[in-house]
Amino acid sequence: MKVAIFPPNSMILADMIVRSGHEPLVVQKEMQKKVTSPELDAPPFNMTEEDPINGLKYAAIEVPSGVRGRMSLFGPIIEEAEAAIIMSEAPYGFGCVGCARSSELTVFSLRRKQIPILELEYPTTRDDTIEMVHKINTFLDTLENNNQEDMADD
Amino acid sequence: MSEKNKDIDTEFCHIPMGDGTYRDSDQKDKITRMIILGPGCSVSSKELLNFLHMLELPINIRLTCYGANLNGYPEYVMEAVAKARELDPNHIFVKFRGFPPGDPRRCRAKRGGAREGFHQIESEYKLLPDVSIALENPRHVDLNPPKKIPLEEFIEIVDEYDENKS
Repeated sequence: MKVAIFPPNSMILADMIVRSGHEPLVVQKEMQKKVTSPELDAPPFNMTEEDPINGLKYAAIEVPSGVRGRMSLFGPIIEEAEAAIIMSEAPYGFGCVGCARSSELTVFSLRRKQIPILELEYPTTRDDTIEMVHKINTFLDTLENNNQEDMADD
Repeated sequence: MSEKNKDIDTEFCHIPMGDGTYRDSDQKDKITRMIILGPGCSVSSKELLNFLHMLELPINIRLTCYGANLNGYPEYVMEAVAKARELDPNHIFVKFRGFPPGDPRRCRAKRGGAREGFHQIESEYKLLPDVSIALENPRHVDLNPPKKIPLEEFIEIVDEYDENKS
């Protein structure tokens, strides 16, 4: 299953999902599509004129173009997500720190989707981390079982 | 083909980087993965590099302080990643990367200062020792500390113990 993560650039969350045999939806993949395409406007900077227009799907025209530009990156992640793992209460500097409103909008959009979501808090102690890993593994195993049951129903 | 046409052809096969240089467009079907050695890993980054070279896969390998960057076609990169992970499954982590290694837009050799993604690695590296322990011994931990019992109940327990003892 395709599992969205938040922060969308987290190594630990993505790695745990790969270990469980699922596919993580990370922002690096979206970035890769932009920076390795052989188009003439493949950006030396990260944003093209199309990006704020694509972001209009998630945010109104009054919203700053930076938010809409970022949403054009996070948008495909939200669209494709079949499950999500959201980590909150992370210290400043963990994850994408460019724009807090884009992050809030991404989390809001993920929560609005009718998909299984695991909400975690950033671990501060060893016990917290062990419990976090246990929760992630249990959640991913449950997804696998649900997926198999759905396939059997079909 | 004239000299001029050849120049135009070459120019359009390359992507302008914005600093006067051009990047080859052969990255379209290639992927990049970062292999990150966690604290306490049984292999060093140099050993990892030797191991990856010995696989003789057609991939671009770059040695870094935290592990290695692999760039190439997906089937070869994923094969290398799977084999590298087998070296020490609980201490080797894999991160996705959008920009190819050495890309002048992000490479620190060209722009100075750490690459943006490095700060995220640095931040997550602090959690990796505990994550490795959790992967070695996965278990459920009750994070709610046990509640304190009221004094009266404690006195009853002590009295009961004394009675049984006598």
